[in-house]
Amino acid sequence: MNKDISEERIRVFTNAVKHYFTQVAGEAVAIDTAFLAEDGNPVCYDYTGLISVSGDFRGCVYFSAPRVMLRHLLMAHGETDHREEHLLDLVGEVANTFSGNAREYFGPSFAISTPLAVSGRPDCLDHHEIRERPFVISITWKAYTAAIAVCVEGNRPG
Amino acid sequence: MTRNLRTTKAAKREKHKLMVVDDSNIIRNRIARVVEAGRIPAVTVVGMARNGMEALHLCHEHWPDVITMDLTMPEMDGIVCTENLVRINPDVLILVVSALNDKATALEALQKGAHGFVCKPFTDDQLADALNELLEAP
Repeated sequence: MNKDISEERIRVFTNAVKHYFTQVAGEAVAIDTAFLAEDGNPVCYDYTGLISVSGDFRGCVYFSAPRVMLRHLLMAHGETDHREEHLLDLVGEVANTFSGNAREYFGPSFAISTPLAVSGRPDCLDHHEIRERPFVISITWKAYTAAIAVCVEGNRPG
Repeated sequence: MTRNLRTTKAAKREKHKLMVVDDSNIIRNRIARVVEAGRIPAVTVVGMARNGMEALHLCHEHWPDVITMDLTMPEMDGIVCTENLVRINPDVLILVVSALNDKATALEALQKGAHGFVCKPFTDDQLADALNELLEAP
């Protein structure tokens, strides 16, 4: 079974994004584009939450969003404390939710780490030795643009 | 007045003691707010833990009878923690609240002693319904 991430499987993440905003904010999110990122130039905004993927797969999934969008999402969670600590917590939790939800399709061998959340672009993006270019899904919610990037490939040959 | 106060305290003591286990402060706070808003009238929050290890320590301190349990956490994950908590208190009710929505993981959690599963992202209604149903179950 070929376990590389295909465009079809990217839909799994697109659905997870739509589901998240419907559940948390009660609003639809616009999926703008899905594209292959240029080498060495992943899309990043103010905060990024990154999940490492292992098991039968290797690579990472990350969610990157501007500060203002995360503040609105915190409000949707009922959180009034918008300190940096909570913005980082949220961006990591969103990345974790998207990746965890993808297991409905990929199964338990799509092993995910706890989130690494940073301001800006995580250095560790450079250390993920994957041959695939990240597949980026650009989303718009409340006029703010964010992105989820999926750079995962199968760990088993064939 | 004193009598009313005593009655209120007694009523509080009779409530189920809920411990929230999740590595996200936002999720812990959100679950606590749903309880504080009176959506799950039979419970009161007695403790919040950031990982499985912390949950085990707090369990000995507060003896919760209901727990919401995340699965992907540092130090000790929710599956291992569930297994340990059930060993400490076989009667504890554990509701898994996790983004891991594959059937195999849900089944494993139930086999280790969990009683229900709420998938993240959840709405306040979904969380309240799941906890209320868990507490009303025979």
